[in-house]
Amino acid sequence: MNGLRLPSNCADTDDGMKCAIEVNNLCVSYRGKDGRSIQAVQNLSFSVGQGEVVGFLGPNGAGKSSTLKSMMGFVQPKSGECLVFGEPSWSESSRSRIGYLPEVAMYYPHLNPLETLTLYGELQGLRGQRLYTQAMDLLNLVGLGKSTRTLNRQLSKGMLQRVGIAQSLLGSPDLLVLDEVTSGLDPIGRQELREIMLDMRRHGTTIFFSSHELAEVEMLCDRILIIDQGKLVDEKHVGNLKSNLRKFSLCYLGAPQSEGALTNSTTGITTARFDSKPELIEAIAQVQSAGLEVLDVVTEEGSLEQYFIEAIQEAA
Amino acid sequence: MNKILIWRALARGVLLESIRRKDLWVVAILGFIIVCSAGALGFFGMSGLESFAKDLAASVLGGFSTILAIVTTGRLMPEETKNRTLYPLVARPISRFDLLFGKFLGGVAVAWISFLILCALTALALSIFGVKMEPIMLQYVMLKMMGLVVVCAVSLMLSTLMTPSAAVTMSFVILFGSSMLSRGLLMAFSTADPGVAPFYRVINGVLPQVSLFDIGGRAANTNWRLVPLWVIGALATYMVLYSAAMLSLSWAKFRRQAL
Repeated sequence: MNGLRLPSNCADTDDGMKCAIEVNNLCVSYRGKDGRSIQAVQNLSFSVGQGEVVGFLGPNGAGKSSTLKSMMGFVQPKSGECLVFGEPSWSESSRSRIGYLPEVAMYYPHLNPLETLTLYGELQGLRGQRLYTQAMDLLNLVGLGKSTRTLNRQLSKGMLQRVGIAQSLLGSPDLLVLDEVTSGLDPIGRQELREIMLDMRRHGTTIFFSSHELAEVEMLCDRILIIDQGKLVDEKHVGNLKSNLRKFSLCYLGAPQSEGALTNSTTGITTARFDSKPELIEAIAQVQSAGLEVLDVVTEEGSLEQYFIEAIQEAA
Repeated sequence: MNKILIWRALARGVLLESIRRKDLWVVAILGFIIVCSAGALGFFGMSGLESFAKDLAASVLGGFSTILAIVTTGRLMPEETKNRTLYPLVARPISRFDLLFGKFLGGVAVAWISFLILCALTALALSIFGVKMEPIMLQYVMLKMMGLVVVCAVSLMLSTLMTPSAAVTMSFVILFGSSMLSRGLLMAFSTADPGVAPFYRVINGVLPQVSLFDIGGRAANTNWRLVPLWVIGALATYMVLYSAAMLSLSWAKFRRQAL
């Protein structure tokens, strides 16, 4: 399972392996305050392979939480289906394989983290010493080892989020569904969470999470899905995306050798920008054959944030 | 997965929350008031007032325990939704019925414990002043506990249909007014047209007959014999059927509710 990645349309591969998540033509609507129906998700289709880490991105109100709620069976879809490991996502058997972290993590204020995890663990089917050991291990993992007996209402927002993360990991789920996972966490908490997620990924856990923290997404994800106004507007593998976003600049002394190159009239330095490495190599060869001196080659890593904004604007 | 373990875990959560929220402090305060009242009665002498004291104690116990049961159970599910504690629960591999039933059992446990604490304090206060407790008082306690199950089921059902405050108000109206309403409906039935009369009977059948479980007045009267077993059996059947109907209605509303 280590590092296993399946193509995005991974349903029933040759070796019989199934998708972790399969969403087909999902439509979710709500009744607004004025009684009108609001389409939160429209004909959304995507799939996530087992062992993949997929980021689910979109602006506020794009339909991310509605999709996740529908996947968890909290909301009945108007049409379409969500399958988790080949079974309807609302079924008990599929939910026994999912660890879920809600967007706003709230836990019983008068219970402590250990009691909270014990309650959820029992509902997950864990019992006795095994449950106690796992709950303590998870609380230590998320940095709450010293606060196991502090009431939840006395914990900070970030600490509650850690309780939430711990409860989502109970029972070693095969799929983690995390809604706005880093909200409320301080930088140290984020780094610790990143480590946990990377570790889960190493162990073959499929992770599907929504986030506004694009740097996090860039570091963790194999693939991103961008949703806007309830529709999927883009889907990219992060590795490919990074290389696509990379830009190159070539600085040389002399007259422009290619279209779009700009020359500083004071210094006489020409700067040319290229979208790909072959174009850059070709330009260097051209400059050198013209007998000009190459001064510098600069690589600029494009940002996912810029790409995200452009994708949303393009969709709009 | 073992359903009983799921229900037990949920019920224990409700009980623990209730204890930590100091809900049972209310019971302690009420118990203190009962003890003080009994003390005041005892100060003036209990002689000849034993039946009155027991009748009063049973009425106070019945009223307080019903109020506590309504307030505790009526806010169970709405608070889960309002506080967003519902999501991590429903994300577990349990059905929504299991969730509802576990919460219901928790509500019943809180109502029973509160009632038993009040009973113990009342019995202690009365015994100090030499008031004897007959075996029928034990039957009163048992039947009242069965009645509290019906109270909790009605409150839980109403709380899935309306806002918590509306559910609590409606529960008070229905549960405290049911005996009065029943009397009115039976009178209306006896005087109504034959075509309309069954309608009153149906309404009367739908109303929770919690007064059937309250033998406080009779228990206070020492001349009353023990309630026959078949009556207790019939009341237990009524409790199970009525509570099952209420839980089914709650589940019908909750099972597809968007969260």
